[in-house]
This record gives sequence, structure tokens and C-alpha cells, in this order.
Amino acid sequence: MENFSALFGAAEPPPAAAAALGFGPAKAPGAGAAPPPTASAAAPPPGEDAARKAAAGPFYLLRELPGTTELTGSTNLITHYNLEHAYNKFCGKKVKEKLSNFLPDLPGMIDLPGSHDSSSLRSLIEKPPICGSSFTPLTGAMLTGFRLHAGPLPEQCRLMHIQPPKKKNKHKHKQSRTQDPVPPETPSDSDHKKKKKKKEEDPERKRKKKEKKKKKVSGKAGVRCPAHGPPRGSVSGHSQGAAGQQLSQALSVLPPQNRHSPEHPGVGSSQASSSLR
Amino acid sequence: MAEKFDSLEEHLEKFVENIRQLGIIVSDFQPSSQTGLNQKLNFMVTGLQDIDKCRQQLHDISVPLEVFEYIDQGRNPQLYTKECLERALAKNEQVKGKIDTMKKFKSLLIQELTKVFPEDMAKYKTIRGEDPPP
Repeated sequence: MENFSALFGAAEPPPAAAAALGFGPAKAPGAGAAPPPTASAAAPPPGEDAARKAAAGPFYLLRELPGTTELTGSTNLITHYNLEHAYNKFCGKKVKEKLSNFLPDLPGMIDLPGSHDSSSLRSLIEKPPICGSSFTPLTGAMLTGFRLHAGPLPEQCRLMHIQPPKKKNKHKHKQSRTQDPVPPETPSDSDHKKKKKKKEEDPERKRKKKEKKKKKVSGKAGVRCPAHGPPRGSVSGHSQGAAGQQLSQALSVLPPQNRHSPEHPGVGSSQASSSLR
Repeated sequence: MAEKFDSLEEHLEKFVENIRQLGIIVSDFQPSSQTGLNQKLNFMVTGLQDIDKCRQQLHDISVPLEVFEYIDQGRNPQLYTKECLERALAKNEQVKGKIDTMKKFKSLLIQELTKVFPEDMAKYKTIRGEDPPP
């Protein structure tokens, strides 16, 4: 801004400091038309300033251009100072937020703000503790002051044992998810359970089936079935001959399963017929 | 340089470990562990002496105060380094943009001034020499 103000305030004579920095003597705006001072014509001021003024010709407020070797913001300063590695390290990947990630082996809850328990480093600088300049080992008499009562500390004092919760590794989750989209053990487990249930249910079912069949048989004994002709129990009643009596006796001897069932109508009758033979 | 920090780091780690063991002894204190406690207390004093000795080697190291704010807030101090680098790069790019714009402005100004004041600009060019294009 100093340069710009000097440029725009060219009508006024520049301060001595500006002249010392290499600015030419202040002239009126029309002074450019005057013959340029040469090295011989100009008064020989000592040093480089005179040479500069001579070289400036009709121009005033002419400064030397900055050297090309000068370090400016046009160059990448991170590469210039060999900080690419640091930049890639810290800015390339996400840096974890918590202090416990930086100091994982430090015991205690270090992620909490230091102002909570007045353990901040700032307070250590602003209000340094009043202590001597040297550390001396504790003598036997001094150590008697550190005799403690036996027993555990109360829970509110056990700050050393509290550790910040560590997150589980995400890769493990990903692997388990990708590798086991459908866990292979679950169906087998469920199969086992089903089998067990089936095994457990089987005797009950059998009993129920037996009971149902018994009921059916007993019910059918007195009820006429139009599809299969007259009921067997009533055979003796309808045909009051010797053959009918034998048939009824044979049926009563047969187990209920071998008797006529609606599912296998021919089986019971054939067996009955064979027994009759 | 790294050796200085290594020795300090080693002493600090030993000190922290000693304090941790001290905490374990104190958390469930038994009368038989009084001698161990006294020993740990004296280790603590010697540990502080060792850390204090490291101060002489590190008198030329300066730490920015902003780092302490990060640590006091329970934040990773590497975040400070990261933000510093990002800020430096952003400022670097900003300044580079300004320099490039000024160079363009200069070349355009010379171009236009040459049209209006050809003689003066010819003298100027003889003094300055041909500027490289921006």
C-alpha cells in the first residue's frame, strides 16, 4: 500500500525515506518532457542512488524490480521447503479428532477438556505452580506422610482406570458382512431346532393321531357310510347267519389300524378276508 | 534433533508408567505395599529430575501456544499441524493468484501505454529491458 500511495501522491515530494529506498526526486507531472539527466550532467551524488537516478531517465518513482531469486508466493512453498510428505500425511487422510488417538497409551480420560478438572496446560503457563527450582528425593521422615489406609479407593476417585471407549475395527465388520451375507450356521441351527421340535412333537402327534383314529373307528361303528356300504358293526345285525358272526369276531380280533380306513379302503378288507380264510 | 526428543519421550514414558503403577497401588492399598509405594514416590522424584535435565537440550525449541489449546480441549494436536498446512497452502495460492494478476495487469498496461506514449515507453523498455511474458 505504501507503493500505491506513493504512486498516486506523486505531485507531492516523496519523503526522504522513499528517496533512500530508490525513488527518484519528486518532479512536477510535466517534468518527463525535460531532457533526461545523464550521468555527466547530473550532480554526482555518492553511492548507487546517483547511478539509479541516472539510469531512470525521464521516469521518476522507478524502483528496481525484485530479483527472480527472491522467494515469493508465486512458488509452491510446501514443495520448496520439502513439506510434501507432511502435507500428504496430515491432509491426505483423515486425522482422528481425539487426543487419546494421538496418545493411546496414556492412562485416564484425556479426551475431556482440561478446564473441567483444572488440568489444562494453559493454566500451567499462566499460573505456574509455586515450587522450588530443584527436585530432591524424599527422606524417610517425609515418606511417613504417605502412609495410606488399607482398602480400595472410592469409585469417584478411580480416574486412572477409566479409559476412553475404543471403537471396534471397521474392517472386521466389513469382512464379516461381505464374506457371510447369509451366515451358514444359522440355518443348520434352525434345522437342529426344527428337528428337535419335530422329534419332540412326533410322539405327541402319534398319540393324537391314534386317538383320532380310535374316535373315528368307534364313531363309524354305529354310523352308516353311504359310500362303503353298511357299517361293519351292524353286519351281525343285518345278516344274522353264521358267516356274519364269524366276520364280526374276526373284525374284533384285528387291531384298529388294520381295520378299514378311508385312505386305504382295500387293505383292511383284504386282511380281513385273509383272516377269514 | 530427533535424539533430543527421543530421550525426552523415553523419560516421559517411564514417568507415566511409574505414575500408572502408583495409581494401581493406591487404588487398592494394602499395608504390605507401603515400601513399594515409597519406592514409586522416589522414582517419581528421579523421573522429574530426568525430565528437568532434558530442558537444557531443548531450550531452542519453541512450541506454538495454539497447540496447548488443542490439547486442553482434548483434541489431537496433529489437527493443528494439518490446519496450519492447509492455511499455508490456501494463502500461498491466494498470493500466487495476486502475483499472476498483477503481472497480467503490468503487461496490459505497458501494451496500452506503448500505444499512447510510444517514445517514453521505448525509453522505459531500454531501461528495464524486455519483461518476460506473464
